[in-house]
Amino acid sequence: MRIPHSSTLQRDFSVSMTPMIDVVFLLLIFFVCTASFQIAESILPSPLALSGAISAELPPELTETELERVLITILQRDNELILTVNAQNCASLARLSELLVALSNIDATLPVLLDIDGDTPLDPVIDVYDRCRLASFRKIHFAAEVRQ
Amino acid sequence: MRLPRLGCRRSVKFNVTPLIDVVFLLIIFFLVSSHLAQQETQLELALPSAASGRETDDSPAERVTINVLADGQLLLGSEKVVAREISRRLRVEREETSDELEVRIRADRKTAYRHVEPLLLACAQARIWNVSFAVIEKE
Repeated sequence: MRIPHSSTLQRDFSVSMTPMIDVVFLLLIFFVCTASFQIAESILPSPLALSGAISAELPPELTETELERVLITILQRDNELILTVNAQNCASLARLSELLVALSNIDATLPVLLDIDGDTPLDPVIDVYDRCRLASFRKIHFAAEVRQ
Repeated sequence: MRLPRLGCRRSVKFNVTPLIDVVFLLIIFFLVSSHLAQQETQLELALPSAASGRETDDSPAERVTINVLADGQLLLGSEKVVAREISRRLRVEREETSDELEVRIRADRKTAYRHVEPLLLACAQARIWNVSFAVIEKE
């Protein structure tokens, strides 16, 4: 019996690069195009009222159990942020956070009312609102003037 | 002369490589075009940052997005509107929508609060309580 010589079994093992380059190039295009270069957005929920709560036309009246409240005024003058908490000046946002955490530890169900000057940019407003949320306050309201 | 026989069969192989190439290209095209179409709806704004923001949910709930530019200009979709018009539109939307309506405010971080306040009022007057601000995550 004639045994085939091992050298005759050698096949052409040259690897064709073209399909691989095709696929790699397509994958590259796919990932470049689908990659979003936008910064991911998140949302800051700010429910205007809890279910079954007060009507919008009326000012936020406090019930007897909610006589205590945290009133924060936000005002910006000459790029300086002026904050007051229940008519007491608050030196900085860090100090505000400390105060809010301390108040929240006493009673997190206290309503927080944000009274914001119209000329204040939204950035510090959202920052204060965010700090209230981080301090675990559940009822955070925006004061608004209803013009007739 | 020796003529080639008709019975000489050629191997008829179906080459699927170009088919896969084309299908793959089509998939990429539709993916990319849908992705870009989605991005177009979002106006580029310098949003305020917050640490307690949560991820946007793609729930099927009806949502109205109001964009507020730095100069206070209001955009409902891509249409410029005034605050009074928004109030009216929200009421109509509220009446037409059976589910809870959500209003998302995408406002520039430099926008003065007096431009945002009427929106909150308009939502409250239209009895829409589910309001949220679009923010970016604080670093």
